[in-house]
Amino acid sequence: MELAGNEKKIQALFRELKLADERVAPGFTRVWNRAQATGPGSPRVFKISFAVATTVFVIALCSLVLWSRDWQRSQQSNPNVATGPTTSGSTPAPPLAPSLVKPLARPLANQGPTQLGVAQLPNRVKANRWDRKLVARRQADLNARNVAIRETISISSWQAPTATLMQSPADHVLTSLPQLDRSLTELKTFLPNTP
Amino acid sequence: MKHKQTDISELQAELEKLHGASFGWALSCCRRDRAEAEEVLQTVYLKILEGKARYRGESNLKTWLFAVIRKTAITEQRKRLLRALKSLAASNPTPERNSFAPEPAAAFERSEAQKQFQRALERLPARQREVLHLAFYEDLSLREAANVMGISIGSARQHYERGKRHLRESLDREELDYGISWERKENPGAVS
Repeated sequence: MELAGNEKKIQALFRELKLADERVAPGFTRVWNRAQATGPGSPRVFKISFAVATTVFVIALCSLVLWSRDWQRSQQSNPNVATGPTTSGSTPAPPLAPSLVKPLARPLANQGPTQLGVAQLPNRVKANRWDRKLVARRQADLNARNVAIRETISISSWQAPTATLMQSPADHVLTSLPQLDRSLTELKTFLPNTP
Repeated sequence: MKHKQTDISELQAELEKLHGASFGWALSCCRRDRAEAEEVLQTVYLKILEGKARYRGESNLKTWLFAVIRKTAITEQRKRLLRALKSLAASNPTPERNSFAPEPAAAFERSEAQKQFQRALERLPARQREVLHLAFYEDLSLREAANVMGISIGSARQHYERGKRHLRESLDREELDYGISWERKENPGAVS
């Protein structure tokens, strides 16, 4: 690079500056050793930050899993409520004593959190506000469902006060049918004794 | 592993040769603040040791090293600025170091002309100062200076020409007299 006179002056000033800088420059070994000494520190900082990030991630993941499990439970509990009263109403209800109402309530509770047993849920759910609201809502739903089932059972087991008057000794004749593909003698044995 | 160690030791030897020039360049990038320049250089060596800055032989080692120093200096300046802003926001201002003032321990006897020259350099825009430093202080070609600064050679040439003109005007204003009067007219074909 050929320099003009103007540039030579600038270069002379820069040279002078360079000489002055070289006088105050720190030794290479000192700077290099300091860099080496500070070297292991930064990976440790990285590891700590990595550990913190991992912990936060794991906590978030766990809470997400718990929440999704609760959500699934609430989704599963809704169809059971819908099918309960319809099945009992479609079949002829057997005469149930009022004492049967209590044993029926027990299996509902025994089904646990997988089906209708929301009553056990508060023990397992963490006491935060959202969960408390959810549990209270589920408890109210369960109570309403239990009342409906109890009413259905009591209606199906109801008997009229005059039902005993309708009973007679020949009830078995009225309630049974003759076998038409049998012989006449056998049919005669079926018929009541006639003169 | 051994191969890596020999690589590092070879690189260390090369860096030692370039240490003086590297410090001068770091000083220029840090606006002549000696402590800051030393810190930047230390960070650069640390980056090399950790493998964050790797020389792949794509360019000259000096060019590569200077580019790393420049980037590191810019990053450090940003960090320092952020720290200063945070301390201001917390209304607990820490005594800020004047980057332009040389530390007493590092102060050396400068001639009046040299002081005026440094003042004139400080008044230049960063790009112009950098390209002049690389061309005159480090004896790099304009192409190499452009590589270090990460700009095109055309831009580097423009900064170089403007920088020279501004520096001359600034020195004229300072009435710098080296016994030779500054020529008013520049030779445009001086730099290839």
